[in-house]
Parts: sequence; C-alpha cells; structure tokens
Amino acid sequence: MQSLSLAYRQLNTLILGKPRAIRLALACLIARGHLLIEDLPGVGKTTLAHGLAAVLGLHYQRVQFTSDLLPADILGVNIYQRETASFRFHQGPVFSQLLLADEINRASPKVQSALLEAMEERQVSIDGESHPLPTPFFVIATQNPSEQLGTFPLPESQLDRFLMRISLGYPPPEAERALLLGQDRRTLLADIGATLTAADLLMLQNKAAALTVTPDLADYVLALLQATRQERSYLTGLSPRAGLALLAAARAWALLEGRDHVLPEDVKAVFPHVAGHRLGLSGDALGSLNKLLDHVAIP
Amino acid sequence: MIRSLLRQGEMAVLLAVALVILPLLLLLPPWLPMLVLCMLALRAVLLRRQAVLPSLYLLLPLLLLAIGGLWLSLNTLVGREGGAALLILLLGFKSFESRQQRDWQVLLALGFFLAAMPLLFDQSPLAAVWLAISLLALTWAMLILSGEMVEGSLRSAMQALSLSLPLMLVLFVVMPRLPGPLWSMPHDQHVAGTGLSDSMEPGSISQLVQQQEPAFSVVFAERVPAVSEMYWRIMIFDDFDGRRWQNVRGLSSETVRWQGGRLVSYSLTGKPSKARLPLLEYTVTAPAGGVLEPGNLFKLARDGDELFRFQAESLLAGHYRTVLSRADQDFYRHLPPGNPASRQLALQWRAQGGDGAGFIRTALQYFRLGGFAYTLQPPLLNSEDGIDQFMFSSRQGFCEHYASALAFMARAAGMPARIVTGYQGGQFNPVGQFWQVRSSDAHAWVEIWLAESGEWLRVDPTAAVAPDRVAQGVSQSIPAMQPQLPVLGRSMPGWLLRVQQNWQAAGFAWQQWVVGYDAGKQLNLYRWLGLGDQVDSGTVLRAVLIGGSLACLPLLLLWRRRPSVPPLQQGRHRLVQALAAMGIVVVDSDGPLDILNKARRLPEPDYRQLKALLKEYAAMRYRQPAAPQQARQWLRRVKAFRPGRQ
Repeated sequence: MQSLSLAYRQLNTLILGKPRAIRLALACLIARGHLLIEDLPGVGKTTLAHGLAAVLGLHYQRVQFTSDLLPADILGVNIYQRETASFRFHQGPVFSQLLLADEINRASPKVQSALLEAMEERQVSIDGESHPLPTPFFVIATQNPSEQLGTFPLPESQLDRFLMRISLGYPPPEAERALLLGQDRRTLLADIGATLTAADLLMLQNKAAALTVTPDLADYVLALLQATRQERSYLTGLSPRAGLALLAAARAWALLEGRDHVLPEDVKAVFPHVAGHRLGLSGDALGSLNKLLDHVAIP
Repeated sequence: MIRSLLRQGEMAVLLAVALVILPLLLLLPPWLPMLVLCMLALRAVLLRRQAVLPSLYLLLPLLLLAIGGLWLSLNTLVGREGGAALLILLLGFKSFESRQQRDWQVLLALGFFLAAMPLLFDQSPLAAVWLAISLLALTWAMLILSGEMVEGSLRSAMQALSLSLPLMLVLFVVMPRLPGPLWSMPHDQHVAGTGLSDSMEPGSISQLVQQQEPAFSVVFAERVPAVSEMYWRIMIFDDFDGRRWQNVRGLSSETVRWQGGRLVSYSLTGKPSKARLPLLEYTVTAPAGGVLEPGNLFKLARDGDELFRFQAESLLAGHYRTVLSRADQDFYRHLPPGNPASRQLALQWRAQGGDGAGFIRTALQYFRLGGFAYTLQPPLLNSEDGIDQFMFSSRQGFCEHYASALAFMARAAGMPARIVTGYQGGQFNPVGQFWQVRSSDAHAWVEIWLAESGEWLRVDPTAAVAPDRVAQGVSQSIPAMQPQLPVLGRSMPGWLLRVQQNWQAAGFAWQQWVVGYDAGKQLNLYRWLGLGDQVDSGTVLRAVLIGGSLACLPLLLLWRRRPSVPPLQQGRHRLVQALAAMGIVVVDSDGPLDILNKARRLPEPDYRQLKALLKEYAAMRYRQPAAPQQARQWLRRVKAFRPGRQ
C-alpha cells in the first residue's frame, strides 16, 4: 500500500493539479480495466500514460493510430524464415504490458476491432494460432473529441471495452504556473523510477477484487442502474456488465482510499466515469450523471 | 428524490391546524377563519424561504387591530363565538412567533384544543367525523414534528388513534355525567331560534312551512296512529285583536274529564323552544320533567335549548270535556269590533245549524264548497276588516287564515273558541323506525267548546279546504305552488328519499346513543354491568380501572411487535434531523462520508461524536451486516446525540 501511495505522489508531481484524474486512472488499472482518455491535444494524456507505465514498472509501447494502419501493424505478423523454412510470429506492439493507443479514433474500424478484441480476449489469434498477451495487460487509449474530420468514432459496443473514460482538462492556474516554471516533463519522466512491480500490481488487483460488498451496497448499485434505465434522456440504460464494471471500479477506488469495504461514496466517485461513455454521453455532459447521483437515494 | 427534511414537521403542524380551523368557516363570521388561514399560509411561505419573522412591534398592533375587528363584528370576546374567534386569532399570531420546537408544540396543543370547538356549535355525526379527521391530522403532525419519517407516518398516526379508541370509549361510558350536556352554552343573542312564535298573524306559520329543519322525532311504542290523527299541540291562542291572535289568559287550572279514545304511548325527542315541547292530542298524564298546563300543553320544568326526551301516553280521538264558567265562556267569545259581514254570516250559520255541531257542519261545508283555495302565498289582508276580506273576496289562504276565520265565526256566533298551534302529521323513516316532524309540518287549528256536551271539539278547517294537507302533508296539497317550495319540500325521487331517510336514521341513533347518553342511561348501564346502584367516585374509579386496563391490551400486542423501520435507517433519520436543527441539510443521496463532510462546521466535540457514530453506521451497513442487538445499541447512542448543546 505504501508503494501505491508513493506511485500516486510521483504521478502528481508529473501531472500537476489533476489528483482526481490520476486517482481514477490508477483505480482503473487496479480494477483490471482499460482506460480511455478523451481530451484535447497537449493537456498531458501521453504524459500520464508514460508516467503510469513508469511508476508501475511496466513494459510500455506506444502506437500512433492513423487511417492507413493495418491490424498486423498492431497485432504482429507471421514472417517466413528461409533458414528454417517455416513461419515465425513477429509480435506487434500489442504484446506489451501497457499499450498506449494514441488517437484511437483515427484508425479504421478494422484496426479498432482487432485491438478491442485483443483487449477483451487478452490473446491474439493469427493464422489459427493463439498468442497470449502478457500479464498485466492494459490499454490506455486517447482520442480527441473535437477533431471529427477523417475519424472513425468508436461504436458504443466497443466503448464498453473500456472500464473508464476520463478527461484531464486544463490544469488550474497555480498548477499551470508551476508547469511553466518547472522542469521539462520528459526529463522528469526519465527521473521517475518504478515504485511497483508487476507482481505488486497483480497483488493489488487481487486485493481490490476481494473487498467486501454488502447487500446494502449492491442495492445502491441496483438503484443507480435502475435510474439510468428509467431516465428518458438516455438512449439505453446501463447493462448488467456495466453494473459489474461499476462495482469493480468502486472496489479499486475503495482500496485507494485505504478501506477494506466499499461505501456508496466510492460508487459515486467512479460512477460518472464508468457510466458516461456507456450511455453515449459526451465528456462535457457528465452533469446529468451527477444530477442522477443527487436524485438516487441510498437505500 | 431530494426532499428537504428541514421544516417538515413545522409544515405538518401548519397543515393540521389549518384543517382544524376549516369548519369554523361555517360557524363564525367567515372573514375571521379566512384571515387566520391566510396567516397560516403566509407563515408556511416564510418557513419555506427560511425568511425572517416579522417583529413583535409589527405583530402587536396587528393583533390589536384584528381583535378590534372581532369586537366590531361580534360585539363580544367571550362566550361560545367570541371565545372561539379570539382563540383562532391568537393561534394565527402564535404561528408568527413560533421558532423553536417548543413553540410548535404549543401550537399543536392549541390545535388539539381547537379541534373540539365545532362541537360547541354542532353535535351532529358530521361534526364528529370532522373531529376524527382533525385528530388524525394533528396526531400525524405531532409524529412528524417529533422526527418520525414521513413514509408510513400516516399509518402510525392511525394506529396511535385506534389504540386510544378503547380508552376513549371506556371514559365516555364511565365518566360521571353533568346534569345537562357539557356544552350547555349561553345562547348567543344574534342566533335566531326556529319554532312557533308567541302570537299568530297571517304569514307567521307559512314562513315556517317553507323550512325543512327537523323539529322533533317520535317513536311509537305499539300502535301507530294515522297521519291525519297526529295533532301535536304546542300553544293556544285565545285573544284576537282584529289582526293578531295571542295568548292572553293562560288559564291557571282546568278540570278535565277524559272520555273514550284509544291509548297510544310514544317517546318524543326534540329541542324545546321557550321550554315547550309538543304533545300528541290528548296526553293524559304529565311526562317526567315538566308539567301539563291547562289546554293540554306541556311545559318543561327547566328552560334550555338542549335536546329533551320524554315518554308519554295519549288518548287518540278522546273527548276533552271540561266545565267553563260563565266568565270563561265570555272570555272565549270576546271579539273586537269590525268585520260586520262575517258576523252576519256567522249568525246565519247558527240559525241554520241549530246546535253547535250543526254550526260546525255548516261552516266546514262553506269552506269546502265556497271556492276557497289553499296557498302559501295568499294576497295580503290589510284592511280593518281582514276576516271579511278573506271570507268574501280573497278566499285564499293557509291554515292560519282558515283557523283564524273559523275561530272568529264561532265566536261571532256566540260559541267559545280558541286556536291551537303546533304540528300536524310527520314522515315515517323506515330505516330508523321513527317519525320525523319538520318545521314544514307546522299547523294551526281551532277548538270550539260545545255547550251541549261541555267538550272542546277540535275542528280543522284546513282539512275541509285541502284534505291532502292533513292526510299527506304540505307538499301534496299545493301542486300549483310547488316551484316556490324549497327542493326538499317537493315530492322526492325514491332514491333521494331513501338517502335522506338513512341519513336521518343515523342522526337519530347518534342523538339517542351518543349525545343523549345521560346520567339516567349511564345508571342503567352500571346496573346492567353490576357495577352498583349509583354513580359515585368509587364505582367510577373501579370502572376506569377495569376498562382502562382492558383498553391497554392492544398496546401489549404492539409492544411485542418489532418496529417496522430497521434501527439503522431510523438512526440515520435521527442523525439527519439533528443536523437539520443545526442548519445542515442532508439529502437521501448522501452516504455516511458525505454527511460527515457536510457537518464539518459542527463544534469539535459534536463532530467527533458524529464521526464515530457514522463510522459505526458505515461499518454495520457496508462492512459486516450488524446483529440486531448491535444496531439497537447504536440507535440508542444516536438518540443521545444532541449537537449544539453545551
């Protein structure tokens, strides 16, 4: 737990003024979920992904998605070996512990679905042969919502693969001042050492999954799910899978808060980020989810 | 949904008190309850906005102004109306200085007192129903004010009231009765009484006939007389001044010899007017509680306007024989000058008929065939010779005209005669098995003394003109006049009649068993229960003890049952209430940490205490579901938590 809070502190020195986003990102990884960061260019999406990889001591690869990207560019390809007269599998960038998929909505749907399938199955099948992905395996995808020209927006069913969607937004003025006056982020990144091992992370993940959820709390989650299903302004309500995701995220959040049980407040903290993209709401429309939280009584 | 828990109890109190005041709109000058209701509404608005209350320097002159207005409109501040009016006015102003919980409790207590107020005006079943509704509303408000949750609070209030019901019944039955009803209030001057008046002039009865209020009700023991035999005597008029009949003489005594007739026994319930109640012709012995006056009239020993009930026996179609002295005969023959044509006609009848009976036959024949009409709207008789005008030109009138004319004719012919007023007939209520007599059954008829037999003979000229009036009632006898009668006076469709009869029956039973439950009935019940032969303090105490402990039995059942709201939820609600009192608004969507976060500005010891309580709460709900015992202990600690008390 100490190393976890150290990692948290280190990330906060890297991304200034965004403790909540960092906490959510950590919770997402602890809940074994993939993270979608939706924001403008230059607010620190990539830096956050780098930083996470660095503090968690994970093997990290980055792919810049473009419209001419092919699935093989990500997954890997079988290449004929003249020496052995056989095919050998060359792993693509997806074979890493943390994959940063930059501007995921620029790639063609074919590439998107290849990646998302890998995210779900945690393995890659090529020419009838399965290649398991390393553990832990995370995808942090970013997308820019304001540039729509030449993009392929992710369909709702695929958005569902991401446990959380967060956005960073502009930093508060003091933080931005410190950023302007401070060191270059790249130098800082180089200085950040791993405070956690992959084994530690797996242990934390197991611990989070084991946190207590009482029937009373499950009732609250149910009430929230029901409320999204009854709210007219949403096209569809949250699915049962979304309910499980919500609970997993709440557990991770509770672990970060240093508790061994989940409180309604934990559910409330993660709810807008777990539910927003699943309900097809844009990143700016989370107000309606906060209102929903205010209206649903805790049973 | 977000519901501000703040001020819920206060709102409930205002609502309940407004409900209590509502019936007073009908009983007091309406501007006053209206004013108080507006004040309560204004107070509710201020409460909602959490605005500052008006200062005492504004309230005091306003109160004086309102009391001044009250004095101008009622001329009094005491008595039934003045007292009630003053009380609700004070209630309205009290709401404007209610800030603390204690003030609101005082307001609620005032509401309980005021709830009984309409009973001073009206003791009908409707008033009782309204009282029950008021009590329910007040009890509900009391629950909310003391911090109960709104969900299920109405049910709890009903439960509480029904639990107190047995005790109420026991107290009703065993508490010693006062000689009169508890609310035998001094009669307010400006409330006009209904009933027959002291004198009779054209129009005095026909006004009464157009009213439909019940006058009295009667139950016959075995034999029921025909409707045409039901003559209810109230008053006798023996002096005529040319226009008006009055009771001048008031015979001090008479010796009566009753002959023939069938015995009918009945019990009558009614509100006496000027200590008089009707008697069925002819009642032989004086009923208990009054005396039989000469002329076969009933006078109560005590004046008052509360309901009175008596048993009596009467000789139907009996002969009323008495001896009139010469002076008495002269008195009953006295006439003022005037009406020469009628006098001449009377002498002519006398000559034709021979004896008294013959005269009466001729007279009735004349009324029957002489082109007379029965109407509630006769032309005005304003000349000096009113009887002449009626007999020879207008020939339209109502019972009082006919009675007046016949009595005049008899006197003019030298026969002693007088007018009797009262009621004739009645309507049977098959639901309650009783007879209802209404104001519209008011009637006047004539008694002529026959010298041959020494008998007062009842002669009803109206029966000769409009036989239906006597056989079936007013509404049947004047078809042409029906549009002028109020709706209830016309013949009703069957279903409406049944509804009316059911309602009357309920009212009758209510009068008999609830309002009329007096010392005598109580004593009978005591004897029947074997509690002793008199209602003294010992028997009352015994009865209260036995009845009270029986009434407490349902409480035991309730105690054995678990409270319906789990202790954890109850405790959370209490915490929320306690914080609301400190101005910290907690909503239903707040979890324990949210609550703690909101309560940061509490004084340090309170905050620490709250933190410990909430931590336990969170653990019991979200970590390890608590044992009932543990939860109850926690609830007890919550009840002891009183923030802001140093």
